[in-house]
Amino acid sequence: MSAEMLSRRTMLQGAGLLGLTGLAATACGSSFASGVAGTAPGKSSLAYWNLLGGGDGVRMVSMEQAYSKAHPAISLKPVTLAWGNPYYTKVTLATLGDQPPDVAIAHLTRASIMAQADLLEPLDETELAAYDLIGKNFTPAAWKKAHTNGTLYAIPLDTHPFVMYYNTDVCKKAGLLDEDGTLKNLDGPTALVDAMKAAKKVTGAYGGVISINNDTATQWRFMSSLYWQLGGSVLADEGRKIVIDDAKAERALAYIQNLTAKQKLMPTSIDYGGATTMFASGKAGFYFEGDWEVSTFITAKTPFSMTSLPNVFGGTYAVQADSHSFVLPKDAKRDAAKRKVIFEFIRSMLDQSATWAAGGHIPAWLPFQKSAAYDKIKPQSDYKGVANFAHYDDPAWYSGSGSDFENIVGSAIAAVSAGQMSPAQAVPEMRTKLTKYANTPNPV
Amino acid sequence: MAATTTIAGRINVQRIVKSRAIDWRARYFNWFCVSVLIVFAAIWAIPLLWAVDTSLKPDGEIATNPTRWWSGHFTLHAYRTVVNGGNIGTWYLNSFVVAIASAGLAVVVCSTTGFALSQTRFRGRQAVFGAIAAGLLIPSQVLIVPMFKEFNLVHLLNTYWGLILPSVAIPICVLIFAAFFNGIPSELAESAHVDGASWFHIYRRIYMPLTKPAISAVFIFTFVWKWNDFLWPLLVMTNPRMMTLPVGLSQVSSAYGIQYAEIMASAVLGALPLLVVFLLFQRRIVEGVATTGIK
Amino acid sequence: MAIQTLPLEAGVPVRATSGSGRRRPDTRAGWGMAAPFLLLYVLFLIAPTAYGIIMSFFNSSLVHNGLGGFAGPDNYTEALKSSDFWSSMWHTVLFTIITTPPLVVVALVLAMFTDRLKRGRWFYRLLFFAPYVIPSASAALIWSWLYAAPIGLWGTWLNDIGIGAPNWLADPNWAMASVGLMTVWWTLGFNFVLYLAGLQEIPRELYEAASVDGASPWTQLRHITIPLLRRTTALVLVLQIIASLKIFDQIYLMTGGGPNFATRPVLGFIYDIGFTDLRTGYTAAASMLYFLLILAVSLVWFLINRRQQRSA
Repeated sequence: MSAEMLSRRTMLQGAGLLGLTGLAATACGSSFASGVAGTAPGKSSLAYWNLLGGGDGVRMVSMEQAYSKAHPAISLKPVTLAWGNPYYTKVTLATLGDQPPDVAIAHLTRASIMAQADLLEPLDETELAAYDLIGKNFTPAAWKKAHTNGTLYAIPLDTHPFVMYYNTDVCKKAGLLDEDGTLKNLDGPTALVDAMKAAKKVTGAYGGVISINNDTATQWRFMSSLYWQLGGSVLADEGRKIVIDDAKAERALAYIQNLTAKQKLMPTSIDYGGATTMFASGKAGFYFEGDWEVSTFITAKTPFSMTSLPNVFGGTYAVQADSHSFVLPKDAKRDAAKRKVIFEFIRSMLDQSATWAAGGHIPAWLPFQKSAAYDKIKPQSDYKGVANFAHYDDPAWYSGSGSDFENIVGSAIAAVSAGQMSPAQAVPEMRTKLTKYANTPNPV
Repeated sequence: MAATTTIAGRINVQRIVKSRAIDWRARYFNWFCVSVLIVFAAIWAIPLLWAVDTSLKPDGEIATNPTRWWSGHFTLHAYRTVVNGGNIGTWYLNSFVVAIASAGLAVVVCSTTGFALSQTRFRGRQAVFGAIAAGLLIPSQVLIVPMFKEFNLVHLLNTYWGLILPSVAIPICVLIFAAFFNGIPSELAESAHVDGASWFHIYRRIYMPLTKPAISAVFIFTFVWKWNDFLWPLLVMTNPRMMTLPVGLSQVSSAYGIQYAEIMASAVLGALPLLVVFLLFQRRIVEGVATTGIK
Repeated sequence: MAIQTLPLEAGVPVRATSGSGRRRPDTRAGWGMAAPFLLLYVLFLIAPTAYGIIMSFFNSSLVHNGLGGFAGPDNYTEALKSSDFWSSMWHTVLFTIITTPPLVVVALVLAMFTDRLKRGRWFYRLLFFAPYVIPSASAALIWSWLYAAPIGLWGTWLNDIGIGAPNWLADPNWAMASVGLMTVWWTLGFNFVLYLAGLQEIPRELYEAASVDGASPWTQLRHITIPLLRRTTALVLVLQIIASLKIFDQIYLMTGGGPNFATRPVLGFIYDIGFTDLRTGYTAAASMLYFLLILAVSLVWFLINRRQQRSA
């Protein structure tokens, strides 16, 4: 290769590289400048992480936009990450990496674990009082759960229990509605089964539906609600002991399997999307899930309403629930000015509880929850009483929303729902797998 | 059947007649090769083409007609969303800084060491050589847990150095350089010594200019490796503004949900830098791969 | 010979020796030049290895400093008895088993065919190697979209021609194969280029002589090309196997280790248990066991190679 060709080639390559860097620089635009020089003058930034996708995500985005409009001096930087363990892993790694977000959403069941792991900043209740973020303004059960070892670590946003959706058209034809158009009381061991039989006759397909495939969380929520109604517990002593009551667990599992595999009132193999679609299109009269699918069915124009899960076994009422809350991951560099911005942000989110509640969750902010405005949001406000019976997952370092615990028990329950395993086989399987975790020294 | 006779250049009428007669077999086979290659080429091209196609369609159309190639409304909207709303420019910058610094430092550090091993007869050379060769057997992936704890302790997480430092001292690069230096006659060093040059001078002015292929190979290998590295940056860079391109891209689907145009636009923008680099430096890169492999 | 003093260059003083043959005081220069590497090497390869081994005998946690309580061999026994650990080892091995043959054979065939071309070689080289330079995250996003049920391209095309498409990434029977297929597309180019380089080294005269003697192209490939590519094939094979054993990216990005951990490889196991469950001591032990696997494979290849070289 001649020297001339060499230099021409090198020039071409050099020009190409320059072009690339130029492209990168223009693509960066303002972020390049801010990355180099720090944030643009006059604008303080607020990094906010959450795990809210789907309908929840859309609502949260509109709340964020309302906040930004009201606070033009703050540059809000929201990041949405995949739900469950991946989210909590990233928050943990970011906190360990000294650059955590300023404020993040956390389930109360996971926030307490993070607090024990020393990853969260303890909240000073006197400092919070300036923003009215005090105990009497929040759902008592949630406020209590937000404390770990007596210190407050989280500010609750909502409680989201496991609920029962029902198709009003189907139920009317099945004779299940009262004069005022709401569902009859279906408490008791047989009422719900009979109701589903009637609904199945109307739809011609199924009486009810619940997501089973690849959805250990939903399966756990359903079974645990029934199991806790029987008064059973799963974990004790912060997860060091497995205290499953075999008889009660098998009874709860048998109830579920009866609905799916035995009486074929609900499908035995269906995933999350399939279940929502089935209910939305009226092929099932009842749908069991957390309260967050409200928007889906409103958009699909399904004639529906919601109510609390029936008290099937007659004991003290209980239903599985968790709460979203705001936490401040530990950051040594955070100062009082930044905390002010954070608390104002949290207060702004709580003030927009109407938007959030429309998505189905029961707001934890009592000034709104107790207001007439909330009562007007139907059917979401119909089950608000459930917030006081919300049963959080038994505490353990491996438990909480989206945790290994839910994956383990949820898989066994799903196998029972699908008719692949009997309750008598599933309980020992749960116990064996959980015992391994119980015997593991607590890394938190 | 003297397979080793060289017949090139020897004109023999008999052979020409014979070769013409069986020429059709070779041509038929060549056609077969080309057909197979074209089929595979088409298959190989589809994913990238489909990604670009999707990224240029409006999201509404993707929802209604997900598998149609043609669209009446091709648009750059998804790219605008990704570039303006996201952090992709910052990710480009971070990846570039990390990759260039790692590659540059790796070349410098590994070449001096390779040179020392190859040319200088220092005491303990064999032991050092053995220690470095042993390091070949330790894949970095088995060290992520202790390395993370180490880096956490010294506050190197979420910093460029957290990504650069572990990738500078790479045994294979040292061996590549050592092998190349071994191939250069040591008389060059001898005569330079006679003229009074220091080792470093010999290294820098005499040997390095002769090892361009090795420099290329190591630089390209390290650059591409650091640019595309995923697991370690996933652990180290958790601040969205510090993330390298692959880590940032891994979060994109949570951010955009089912907005496939934006997701594909991100994927295309993520693929673009090295594709462009590859197009510009094709020959060097391919040579580098071949060299690395052979060593 | 007189001792000459020379201008200092880069701070490395040098003397020409007097008399005693070729011996030079290289020690200082040698160590000096190797020092930066050795420092980094100790800090970032040796030290973590030692720390990892030590940590594996303790109940270390990600969120607590220090080593934690002493566990003795418990972490190792737990890992060796853990079905989750063995499943993940199996998934890694399975992935290697299903991707290595296509990545080697298809690359060889395509390279041999490309080598026969007189023109256009650069085009195929470009096309097949291009995917190799894009990050795993880009490739994963693109293929997740191709695989998305029910609207992905691959599934729709299969359904259109009458073959029922599987639920590529959500069906436990298909997830690993789907990731494998994506990997073949993504990384075949590397082996392809290595083979092309190897093919260039085969003298053209061999083919000419064989064809003059009446050998068909197929015969030439089988009896000339492939045997002469033995060294390249050995190289491609070992590089491919070792690379496949380190699988993490694609599975993390496309299936998250699922469905229900059906695809989780060893590195995925280490990531989940070490960084989500925070058990760094236990995963240090798991990492060491994984290291033994890779070491074993490397040694097997080394021994095979040595035996071949001896007999050759």
